[in-house]
Amino acid sequence: MDDVIIKIKGMMCGHCEKTVTEAAKSVKGVTKASSDFKKGEAKVSFDSSMTTLETIKKAITDAGYEVMDEDEACPVPVKFPVSKPEVAVKESGIKKSSIKITGMTCASCAQNIEKGLNKLDGVIKASVNFSFEKAAVEYDSSKVGTAELENTITSLGYGVAKNEVTLKVGLMHCASCALNIETALKKTKGITSANVSFPLERAKISYDPEQISVQEIIKVIENVGYSASLKLGKSDADREQRARDEEIKNQKINLIIALVLAIPISLGDMGRNLGWAFVPDFLKNDYLLFILATIVMLFPGRQFFEGTYKGLKHGMTDMNLLIATGTGAAYIISVAATFLDLGEAYKHTYYDTAALLIMFIVLGRYLEALTKGKTSEAIRKLMGLAAKTARIMVNDEEKEIPVEDVKINDIVVVRPGEKIPVDGKVVNGLTAVDESMLTGESIPVEKTVGAQVIGATMNKTGMIQFTATKVGSDTALSQIIKLVEDAQTQKAPIQKLADIVAGHFILAVHVLALVTFFFWFFIGFEKFNVPSTFGMGMVSPFLFSLLISITVLIISCPCAVGLATPIAIMVGTGKGAENGILIKGGEVLEKAQKLDTIVFDKTGTLTKGEPALTDVIAVKSTENEVLRLAAIAEKGSEHPLGEAIIKGAKARGIDVPDAQGFKAIPGRGVEVEYGGKRVVIGTRKLMSENGMDITPLIGKLEELEQNGKTAMFVAENNEIAGIIAVADTLKENSKEAVANLHKMGFSVAMITGDNRRTAEAIAKQVGIDRVLSEVLPEDKATEIKKLQAQGLKVAMVGDGINDAPALTQSDVGIAIGSGTDVAIESAQIVLIKNDVRDVAKSILLSKLTLNKIKQNLFWAFFYNSVGIPIAMGILYPFTNPPYLINPALAAAAMAASSVTVTLNTLLMKRIKLQE
Amino acid sequence: MEKKSGIYSLAASIATSIVIVLLFYILAAGKVSTNPEMYKTIDIYAGMVYVFVLSMIVSASIWPGIIEKKMKG
Repeated sequence: MDDVIIKIKGMMCGHCEKTVTEAAKSVKGVTKASSDFKKGEAKVSFDSSMTTLETIKKAITDAGYEVMDEDEACPVPVKFPVSKPEVAVKESGIKKSSIKITGMTCASCAQNIEKGLNKLDGVIKASVNFSFEKAAVEYDSSKVGTAELENTITSLGYGVAKNEVTLKVGLMHCASCALNIETALKKTKGITSANVSFPLERAKISYDPEQISVQEIIKVIENVGYSASLKLGKSDADREQRARDEEIKNQKINLIIALVLAIPISLGDMGRNLGWAFVPDFLKNDYLLFILATIVMLFPGRQFFEGTYKGLKHGMTDMNLLIATGTGAAYIISVAATFLDLGEAYKHTYYDTAALLIMFIVLGRYLEALTKGKTSEAIRKLMGLAAKTARIMVNDEEKEIPVEDVKINDIVVVRPGEKIPVDGKVVNGLTAVDESMLTGESIPVEKTVGAQVIGATMNKTGMIQFTATKVGSDTALSQIIKLVEDAQTQKAPIQKLADIVAGHFILAVHVLALVTFFFWFFIGFEKFNVPSTFGMGMVSPFLFSLLISITVLIISCPCAVGLATPIAIMVGTGKGAENGILIKGGEVLEKAQKLDTIVFDKTGTLTKGEPALTDVIAVKSTENEVLRLAAIAEKGSEHPLGEAIIKGAKARGIDVPDAQGFKAIPGRGVEVEYGGKRVVIGTRKLMSENGMDITPLIGKLEELEQNGKTAMFVAENNEIAGIIAVADTLKENSKEAVANLHKMGFSVAMITGDNRRTAEAIAKQVGIDRVLSEVLPEDKATEIKKLQAQGLKVAMVGDGINDAPALTQSDVGIAIGSGTDVAIESAQIVLIKNDVRDVAKSILLSKLTLNKIKQNLFWAFFYNSVGIPIAMGILYPFTNPPYLINPALAAAAMAASSVTVTLNTLLMKRIKLQE
Repeated sequence: MEKKSGIYSLAASIATSIVIVLLFYILAAGKVSTNPEMYKTIDIYAGMVYVFVLSMIVSASIWPGIIEKKMKG
């Protein structure tokens, strides 16, 4: 049994679909046939031993439609649940790999990938099967790896389907932790990619299940000192909140202990060193200070030493090491001074330094835990939107069940004021639904029989019953959450720089601390005559150099560098989600900055995608009479143009009685018998064939057509009664959307299959600069490519399956949320609301987010590049009295830096998106 | 292989740290002899401990990558 998709030109409506389907089915050997006029294709299953593709095509051509070339007839892609690269060793060095590919739209895509793979050095043979969406590659593993094979496929513009898992990662304290985990994962055999987000506490891992299991991946993370668990869908929001509350509580306790003890330690230590008389003598006692400082080190400070130990055990360094080295050195030298007689210069203790360092750093962690919760608020809000229970009909009785138990086709009952639990289609009732939580649209949307309802939205006015169509992880809400989460775990290219810096930061800081120590010990101490200039009575070169070195370790903040990008992406994408704009990852944000041209698909994007009555021209009688005749004739028609006429007549309050003898003339029009008269509506060709003189009206007809309308003659008893015109009307906001984009400096184009005249008429109405007309659906991507070849950076806005290649080809693909799943899949920005004005908003949001990233990175680098040299004592020779940062002040500055980055990002939440 | 590279890395890190500490010792001893008023023996010993700790942290971060690369050939 063979399955094929036949591309067809000339299908206009449901009636055409029926004709094509029947034509295909009339061929002996065809077991199944269906067609879709919107897609311009027919799917046919046939027994190749009984008939051929040519015979089927001929039957369709005979029915009056044009069949496109053979190479355009693509086999039906077969979807396989398995989506992993299957690797089998053939012989030593030579391997065979099967890679699941996504994004292929025709056989030529398969050829492109095949060519690309075969060009790779080390690939012996590659063949790509379009139907199976798989590439079978035989390669020499000593020359090329699966990662390179996958990269080649993705660089050609296609996707590689992989096994992916998202894990919840705990115990991370800074961006270096995330990098450590990433490094450990990437080193592990079987893991092809790993993205760890510190603020989101998530790890997104692509892996080969034949080489490694999820449990083994978790073990890898645990081995480097962090916790990992499978992120479950159900009560994630609650669990996350609990974990965050726990973290806040722990850091709060640590902070209270550190604060309560650091105050007497500081008073005692400084009181003795500086001779403060108001400090009671018992507080100046070394042994008491030792006991108090030890408590600080053992309780609030333990986390840093534990973290350091776990990291070092696996050769990883993170921020804990900086803090542990700094506080540890200050504490140990003080203990030595307390219990050993090290000489005059070693009489001072630095318990206050150790205690204050820990207090400030714990304060930073506490504030960070508080603010980090705010950055992921959007996703938590989304998770919290889901209803917990649903009321379904069982044997004509309502039964309340957990929402997870709702099955597809269950009849769900929702009363006013209740949440709609899952996605579905209304079968009974009328209501208004507040969808603002998902779309950002504040006005409730009216829902009647046949309307789609979305889970997690609020039913406002009436009781409805609906059939569940999507449940569990398939609901719109779950998909949105997944999209946002995926976006937040992806890195923006700008983060590469931050990652490189953060990755080597700890090492660089230790090198700087060592160099600083050497400099001050051997050169600075003597050269700048520290014993007489410092004025603290400290004469030991070791202690002086040690304190400066500790300050360098403490003031350095890899957190601010590492947090700058992911936290801005989190807040930006979260804000987008709250406004019905889904941005798929950081890369899009950067690409959106460079855009200069926005190309809109016409049908369904700028226009409503369904025709409406626009003009009625009467020859002899009244307009209403012409419209009445037309509506009578079209009453039996399923044609969308007919439906528009009937709707138009009803809107004018015209009664439309039934007629007899309905006859559809494919591609031309319809005729009926009414009141003993013959009523015909259709094209000029139909009228001419019936011997009617259309010459006096042809000018008016052409005028209407020039304005992008479909005009038809209406005749009664072979006499022209008038002209009726329908057109796909513009969406209310299209004009405003285009104007907004113009204001932002973009050039706006429209791409459509319509003829130039029609397309230009519509473009004129909306104010579009450039028209790409008469473009076949499959050529849309080529048109985008042509624009890109002119050096333009293009965003494509579309909604249909036929827009998917163009969305992929464009620099930024923007899908209108009411569009098809394929379009949404292909796009990098999804607008949940069916509002084209959001195109400008999404670009604005991208700009805002990227600006925030740049601000954050600037402040993080600025802070470190100013703070570290000052901590190294660069000002000491040039200031009088000589200036050195106190280690405790350095700790406070360090804590403030990452909190500042977080707070600066949170400011974005207050900005209102206005184009 | 992994175990071997771990041992080599540790040995290399200790060796590097000892070299740096020795360098510190030689320079510090020179200071003590030229300026005994300012530099004391205790400064040398305390400094040696601190320098060893920092050197170990630095070299233990650098050597594993180098050794892994070398072993992979």
